[in-house]
Amino acid sequence: MTEIRISPMTRLEGHAQVRITLNAQNQVERAHFSVMELRGFEKFLIGAAVEEAPRITPRICGICPTSHHLASVKAVDAILGAEPPETGKKLRELLNHAQYIHSHAIHFFMLAAPDFIVGHDAPAADRSVIGIAKKSPALAKKAIEVRKLGQRITEAVGGKPIHPSNAIPGGMSRPLDEATRGSLLAMAKGGLAIAQEGWDLARVMMDGTDLTLGTVETGFLGMTKEKKYSPYEGTVEIIGKDRSPLGTFTGVDYTKQIEEFSEDWSYLKFTRLKNGTFYRVGPLARLNICSSMGTPVADAALKEYRAKFGETVQAPLAYNLARYVEFLASCERAVELLQDPAITGTNIRAPVSGVKATRGVGIIEAPRGTLIHDYTVNEKGFIERCNLLVATCQNNYAIDRTVEAVARPLVKDGALTEAAANRIEMVIRSYDPCISCATHAIGKRAWPIELVRHGHRSGEGEALRLEKGDDLLC
Amino acid sequence: MKIAIEELASCSGCTIAILDLHEALLDVLGKAEIVYAPVIMDVKEPPEGIDIAFVTGAVRNEENQERLRKIRKRAKTVVALGTCACYGGISGLSMLFNKEDMFNYVFRGVETVKPDGVIPKDVPPFLYRAFAVGDIEKVDYYITGCPPKEMYLKKILPALVAGEPLALSKKSVCSECDRVMGAHEKWQLKRRYEGIPDREHCLLGQGYLCLGAVTFGRCGASCPHSNVPCHGCNGPSLDILREPCRDIYNMMIRRIADLTDKPEAEIEKEIYDVAHTFYPFTIGSLIMEDKGISKIRDLIKERNV
Repeated sequence: MTEIRISPMTRLEGHAQVRITLNAQNQVERAHFSVMELRGFEKFLIGAAVEEAPRITPRICGICPTSHHLASVKAVDAILGAEPPETGKKLRELLNHAQYIHSHAIHFFMLAAPDFIVGHDAPAADRSVIGIAKKSPALAKKAIEVRKLGQRITEAVGGKPIHPSNAIPGGMSRPLDEATRGSLLAMAKGGLAIAQEGWDLARVMMDGTDLTLGTVETGFLGMTKEKKYSPYEGTVEIIGKDRSPLGTFTGVDYTKQIEEFSEDWSYLKFTRLKNGTFYRVGPLARLNICSSMGTPVADAALKEYRAKFGETVQAPLAYNLARYVEFLASCERAVELLQDPAITGTNIRAPVSGVKATRGVGIIEAPRGTLIHDYTVNEKGFIERCNLLVATCQNNYAIDRTVEAVARPLVKDGALTEAAANRIEMVIRSYDPCISCATHAIGKRAWPIELVRHGHRSGEGEALRLEKGDDLLC
Repeated sequence: MKIAIEELASCSGCTIAILDLHEALLDVLGKAEIVYAPVIMDVKEPPEGIDIAFVTGAVRNEENQERLRKIRKRAKTVVALGTCACYGGISGLSMLFNKEDMFNYVFRGVETVKPDGVIPKDVPPFLYRAFAVGDIEKVDYYITGCPPKEMYLKKILPALVAGEPLALSKKSVCSECDRVMGAHEKWQLKRRYEGIPDREHCLLGQGYLCLGAVTFGRCGASCPHSNVPCHGCNGPSLDILREPCRDIYNMMIRRIADLTDKPEAEIEKEIYDVAHTFYPFTIGSLIMEDKGISKIRDLIKERNV
């Protein structure tokens, strides 16, 4: 038995690898998405003063620190019995959209686009944002400009562009002044214009999307507010693969719906519903669940997206387009919020005094999917238990099955070409997996570059616990 | 000029900080070529002949260590980029518990897993502790910050690429803060969530544990500026790095005592959660732990590592 490894996987956040095991006939026996790092935030937050969590947890991820910052502060709000005033809440919502603008821009233009613009079978050295800068400098400049908008808003509202600190228990620590609002609004309008122009590029990608590549069938989970797209607050809805409603939850009730499990070959846990149904989160899930985006440009894009892909989309590569529809929505909402007179209000923070409830759950839609922070504290507000449910963990099963589905036809005579290997990575990349978020890297395994073939390893068969014949297997 | 970015145990924030040069990055790319950076490009192994390697993240397992050794061999200049590379950073907090306890909690202990959950074995093992990059390999330059800030990277990166010397502030966060001292009679330590601090006066004087005095600057005192106490993410100030008898904890206590006339022993009674409030970014640093007066060793010991 031989094994092919693609490692380290590139153009995704954190370190992971693909392991493909071949049978005696040199065909794919099984293939896995394997994550080699663990940081253990759930454990080392124990003992922490709970108000430190919104400062510590952004360090889970340098790409979506704001999502952790906000999920964490919502959990602490619940513990300290604090309800942020209207302006405080709007500033947090603006911060959340800034997170989407930066994260979706980096993924679409800098991580995923090289496959579509430079070409997924182009030489490895050219497949990067630097390759795009060479091939299409105007596009690279626009990508830089629009991502900068996200980071500038985060810096102005959150205090710092990476690892923001201004969302504090009870609201926000600092108001937005009129002059800054004005300059951010001008930038946001420019960003929206770039995003709208970019939709043409996204449309080309949409027309070229191979709907069959790596398709798995799952249910979906995501937050909405009165059925509308609502990444900052709302009710989490779950639908089946045929769109049938499978339940809703808020707060601590997530434990009634979701369970986690682990496998021997990956530090990254998997989730499923308690009834055994697998599901996905993130842009694809959110668009499958919501009735509308709530802003005109994104709603028009959603209409085109649905005309092309249908109401319920299972194809992984459609994630890239769903992400773009959300990117448009966040640019629009940023403009709307910056035009709202309440955004410069000074009533941004409700005073808090002490522990009102010993458990608090904060749920937010991070760019990659539903993010849950759950803290239990003692009466003095020191953390005793902590549970973090992140997006990539919830997509782990689908990513893993996608890998096998894509690898099966691509492995020819026991070999995988570099271009074929990138095709596998391209599908995984569509999920925009974030390994740091998922596991909280304390270490990572990086294997020799290209494809390495390993000899027979004893006991390997025992490592596989996922049942074949499961309805997710293609 | 060939540049590489290697990520060890980290959050990728330092790589994003380089992208946060925005259009200025295009100028740097005009003079230097990025030959290896797995987060943004597909080259899967660092090539030979790297001029400057930026290493981000802490060293927490054998592979981090191997990759660090490899990049050190292949690069003329190694820059520890960010607080994790310089001092272990937030990943160092993992040393508060031993790894068996951590695995048991993550895979068998939290509410959504089952008590008989699988603890992965076919995965890389941890080292016995976390390390900063400089604890293990020779480092030519240190750039602290979680992550380093755009306004400084914009000066540092072009200077590094051009091989030109650059003089920057080496002062503490306090030196960049615009607050003034206020009255502090009846000083009492507050939890950082309590009350609403006024914007004019020193946060420490108002009773909040603000680490500005013991923290290296170059952030524009961004947190105090936003009415949030500093929690030390740039790592220790230069005097603490230089002097064996100075540490984050004892210098903070001394600072409060000087400010308030309260005896140090009385102040210490009010201190809470030393690990997460004093050392969240430095607990993984050997040079910080090795100070005779550091509390780090006690914190690790009391949790049986």
